[in-house]
Amino acid sequence: MSAISNRPILDPVYAPPFPVAALPVLRNAQLRKNVGHAIDVIQAKRARLVAEKTDWQELRTAAAGIRDHVLAHLDVYLEQFEERCTAAGGQVHWAADAAEARRIVLEILREEKASEVIKIKTMTSAEIQLNPFLESSGIHAYETDLAEIILQLGEEEPSHIVVPALHVNRSQVREIFARKMNLKDLSDEPKELTAAARNYLRQKFLSIPAAISGANFLVAETGAVSVVESEGNGRMCLTLPRTMITIAGIEKVLPRFRDLEVVLQLLGRSATGERMNPYTSLWTGVTPGDGPQKFHVILLDNGRSSILAKKTERQTLRCIRCAACMNSCPVYRQTGGHAYGSVYPGPIGAILTPQLQQLHHAQSLPYASSLCGACYEVCPVKINIPEVLLQLRSQVVDQERRQIRRFFDPMHLGLRVANLIFSQAWLFHAAQWMGKTGARLVTQKDGWIHWMPSVGGKWTMTRDLRGLPQQTFHDWWAGRAKGAK
Amino acid sequence: MTAVADSKQKVLDRIRAATGKPAATAEAYAKLERGYTRRGELQADALIERMIERLRDYDAEVVECKPAEIAATIAAQLKASGKHVFVAPEGLPAEWLAEGFDWQIDQQLEAGAVNRAEGVVTASFCGVADSGTIVLHHSASEGRRVLTLLPDWHLCILRSSQVVETLPEYFDRCAQPPTLATWISGPSATADIEMTRIKGVHGPRFLHVILVRDEG
Repeated sequence: MSAISNRPILDPVYAPPFPVAALPVLRNAQLRKNVGHAIDVIQAKRARLVAEKTDWQELRTAAAGIRDHVLAHLDVYLEQFEERCTAAGGQVHWAADAAEARRIVLEILREEKASEVIKIKTMTSAEIQLNPFLESSGIHAYETDLAEIILQLGEEEPSHIVVPALHVNRSQVREIFARKMNLKDLSDEPKELTAAARNYLRQKFLSIPAAISGANFLVAETGAVSVVESEGNGRMCLTLPRTMITIAGIEKVLPRFRDLEVVLQLLGRSATGERMNPYTSLWTGVTPGDGPQKFHVILLDNGRSSILAKKTERQTLRCIRCAACMNSCPVYRQTGGHAYGSVYPGPIGAILTPQLQQLHHAQSLPYASSLCGACYEVCPVKINIPEVLLQLRSQVVDQERRQIRRFFDPMHLGLRVANLIFSQAWLFHAAQWMGKTGARLVTQKDGWIHWMPSVGGKWTMTRDLRGLPQQTFHDWWAGRAKGAK
Repeated sequence: MTAVADSKQKVLDRIRAATGKPAATAEAYAKLERGYTRRGELQADALIERMIERLRDYDAEVVECKPAEIAATIAAQLKASGKHVFVAPEGLPAEWLAEGFDWQIDQQLEAGAVNRAEGVVTASFCGVADSGTIVLHHSASEGRRVLTLLPDWHLCILRSSQVVETLPEYFDRCAQPPTLATWISGPSATADIEMTRIKGVHGPRFLHVILVRDEG
């Protein structure tokens, strides 16, 4: 059997631009069907359970307010978290970038003499490309989330942040498990496939001495960490090993324990269309006799503080990683996640990835949107994604037009000419006259332009254009003034 | 100065340069808008009905009993399970340990021993009806986290006086933030394969709840 998708590149430094990366997906009918089906199911469940909450909008407003407050006071809350977590027996590390975070993880694992590590699905570890790094250092990381096992064994890449294997269907999962777990008689019943994963991992949970997780929330008030999940693999990793490492983005902190009452009402409903995810865990440093006796938190910056500095873009960091935006996105629905060339796909990826790359890479992503606003409508923390997309587009354009090699680029040339024309009344009138005359040549009897030559053809290839009216507003205004006399 | 200390300073400097000097943190926090529902509106009976309905909605089995019947109800549930080896937290009331079963009382049992048990019986801290969530704070009668994780069958005792309607009401009941907490909403599940919800991956595949009507 062929690979589910030709292994896509999810490193924004090397990934091809979005339109190029999207092409193979658009031609892969099976993959699009898998993605479409999964998204329809989540969307319907979410819509039903959100409608059930009478205070949904108030919760969104409160969550946005809390997240904005945290971002404005981030230094205070991070230091408070560090102090309280340390007092509770945890060890807090700070990582300015991905390389530093990887190095800290490796040092901890070396100290533990661990040659294997179990992992809860974590976006931060994917962001810093931890698994290949550990592998090259002789440490094998076992993913334990069902979807992540499918991807790891199938040598696939994630295409969604909550259900990373949603582009893979049951018969493809069966094929991967049968081959890699050596289970020839496995059927494609999800129940049987799930049981296979349970058996495959149970012994590893009981024997591997170290685990790695991300964090859904850090609580500054108490130094606690919270992880939400469905399967119990997370609880296994948080409970059974000797040593636990949590890699958390610096923006993940909440002021108080109580603030969880807001975000956790929003997260499950937005992410999987459940009133609450099956398991939510909260732990504080080290508890004698219960769970890992060594606990490390790595606070990861890796570009986040540069987002913080910008007024409009700062809201990107409110994100609680529910993926409602990608589930609602008409573009994601067609292309799936791989086209985004990053572990963060969909609308949030389109704004987060280029910013984490400080616009050195992934410049095509802000254009991977129709600006329809569906993502903003469903976002539980009210991130105005279209607004940030536009802001980033303008930065990409500014970046491009400063490049010498783009001097004669038709778009930039055209805009420079337009700039000149709009600055002088006589030039504007002359251009209007010329435009009217020129447009007459291509305007059909029905008053529409169906075809244009040269670059204009790019527009009329897919859309019609209304012909210019015979009288301009200026003509009409001037005529009206004369008539009144 | 070590590299680690350097990084902390570097990250904090970047953050401070980005945020400038905001207003006093505590005052700003106090002014945050919280217009969402804090208190539920359901009457006692309707509240318990909601809790049961939402528990069942996520595949938990629920039976009700009066306070005097707890031990008998537990015994009946254990018998019906067809299982024999059970773990119990150290602080579980002795009268709940029904006779005729192999009880492993948790005094720092090895994970392997807990894994060999077929089921577990625990008390709980709170029930949230709105989402059908059972909250454990891992006190002596709720047990260490591993107890309610490895056995495939979990019987949880929840009193109606512990049930609240909304999530904020649970937070009202926390005199202090817990150091450990596990919220359970139905048995372990996944929808990773074609978004089909499958009961039970790694956590207990069977969640049974005894709702004790200790008020009204």
